[in-house]
Amino acid sequence: MIEVRNLTKKYGDHIAVDHLSFKVDEGQVYGFLGPNGAGKSTTMNIMTGYLAATEGDVIINGYNILEEPEKAKRTIGYLPEIPPLYPDMTVREYLTFAAELKKVPRKEVKLAVVHAMQELSIMDVADRLIRHLSKGYKQRVGFAQAIIGDPETLILDEPTVGLDPKQIIEIRELIKSLGRRHTVILSSHILAEVSEICDTVLIMSRGRLVALDSPENLARKSAGATVTITSPATADEMRPVLEGLEHVTGVDFTDDGEGTVTAHVTFDGEGDPRKDIITALTAGGCSYYSVDVQRASLEDIFLELTDSEDEEYDDTDDEMTEDAESQDRSNSVKTQAGMVSDEKEPESSESDSAADTEQSETQEEADSGEEAE
Amino acid sequence: MRAIYKKEIKSYATSMSGPIAVAVMLLVVGYMFRYYNLSYGTASLVYTVFNSNLIFYIVVPVLTMRTFTDERRQKTDQLLLTAPVSLIDIVLGKYFALITVFAVPILVMCILPLILIPLGGGEMMGTAYLSILVFFAMGCAYLSCGMFISSLTDNLIISAIGGILFVFATMIIHNAYSMVSASNFASLIFFIVLAVLLGILVYVMTKFYWASLGVILVCALAAFAAFMVSPDWFGGKSEKILSIFDFFSHFESFAYGSFSIPDLLYFVSVSVAGVVLTIARIQKRRWS
Repeated sequence: MIEVRNLTKKYGDHIAVDHLSFKVDEGQVYGFLGPNGAGKSTTMNIMTGYLAATEGDVIINGYNILEEPEKAKRTIGYLPEIPPLYPDMTVREYLTFAAELKKVPRKEVKLAVVHAMQELSIMDVADRLIRHLSKGYKQRVGFAQAIIGDPETLILDEPTVGLDPKQIIEIRELIKSLGRRHTVILSSHILAEVSEICDTVLIMSRGRLVALDSPENLARKSAGATVTITSPATADEMRPVLEGLEHVTGVDFTDDGEGTVTAHVTFDGEGDPRKDIITALTAGGCSYYSVDVQRASLEDIFLELTDSEDEEYDDTDDEMTEDAESQDRSNSVKTQAGMVSDEKEPESSESDSAADTEQSETQEEADSGEEAE
Repeated sequence: MRAIYKKEIKSYATSMSGPIAVAVMLLVVGYMFRYYNLSYGTASLVYTVFNSNLIFYIVVPVLTMRTFTDERRQKTDQLLLTAPVSLIDIVLGKYFALITVFAVPILVMCILPLILIPLGGGEMMGTAYLSILVFFAMGCAYLSCGMFISSLTDNLIISAIGGILFVFATMIIHNAYSMVSASNFASLIFFIVLAVLLGILVYVMTKFYWASLGVILVCALAAFAAFMVSPDWFGGKSEKILSIFDFFSHFESFAYGSFSIPDLLYFVSVSVAGVVLTIARIQKRRWS
């Protein structure tokens, strides 16, 4: 168990972490979310004993990291933002060094190294110099270093950065399976990743904790949905039909220029509003080509909670869009829209790859729509 | 500590720095040996060892520039500092590895007195080995200071140049005594300059403008007051302070045949100071 009490870190006048307090239970996966400069990495660096705190305490599995650092560090595996690798070592040498450094009993070192390499599937590069490895491999070697010696708690700073889509899936599976035996705390920019792997999400903004809950609860709290309808009918025909529906808070039309109109309808109620819409459209004599729903996602909540007057938010937004795009290309990851509609439509999630393609298209449309605005 | 020591030794052996440092030392020592002992036929090894001190200009930067600079540059300090190893173990592991590499050519040097036996070196065997011991102690002091310099920066070139400048300063500082007048007033000026330097150091460490100004004022006023009370106390004090960094004189004394324990202790204490400063420096970085 990890307890962070009143943690504060100041760099001169700048407050990086501002009286942060939270508790982390055993055997769960926790996700740190937050824009750049929110203090995620700083918090992780303090929790692992790399940095000292200006104020506050961190208790790791019963040991205070500031008072009994060696005992506390023994129970942590840490993968920093930039994997701490020695380029002149081979992977095996490096992991052996890491195992010895973590005081793995001498007889078990060899086995621990092989085990870590197998977990991360890097056996094939075991005797290559780290300097010659690609970024994805380096990241995995760094990850292997963190899990060596089987620590109770794993702290991972952006563990999937630099990996290819296949590796991302593997790493996520690994994190999930590690989460059953260990406490895992990870940070990420990729919201889909956090909502997929994590049991609990901690959202940080400017050094403070702004939310701590399960992804589902967070999504529920910020209820509401947007429905996108593409229809050959005109805006004037559709408007009375749509505005007459319950829970509708706004209707907005854009002319696609190809004889179709796209309507964006916002709802504030729970549940799937598509059925009502389709019934109403049919009753009103309007035909339609597609009706898509997009529930309020973690992304919306994230923006809502971290949205502030400072510019940091803009950077993050760009980055997140990039991340989302890179994953759309891979078809590997359920995007925000995908994640939620999966829950609503079990039948579509069964045919995975097809559903993913569809959903990513939806997402891309949504993205381009955002950009147009 | 063992893991770090092993890793460091391995990295010196597989990278260029270890072999280069050892080769340069053997080359210079070998040349001096040929010149003073074999050509001139001197049976005393002292001249050879004494004149070999210029190896430090190369050995110190080559061996020490990477110790902590590279860890910081590659962010591998995060691995070391988050591992269940104390900071003292990390610094000592690295320091002992440095000494081990340095000890390799020293061991080779230990063969030299045996070669000189036919020349009548048997009688001078004791002084020869003592001179090697002082030479080794001086090397340890240099490596410790070089390690500290490497913990100050994450730029390899600055770290290397810092090492060279340090060796240079400690070798020539005994010449600077004559430049600083031994008069009472000159010493006062010297103390005030020291106060300003201390103030600048405080500013660099804390970025707190008023603190550094306060330190300068308090120290300068204290020096001035002391000067008013007893001017004679100041005479020659500047020389004493400069002599803290005077490696050369401590090294030189044995060349005149006087091996003194205080000189050896001087090098030991400088080594300890370097290690302690390195630990303090890394600890400080965690807090800033």
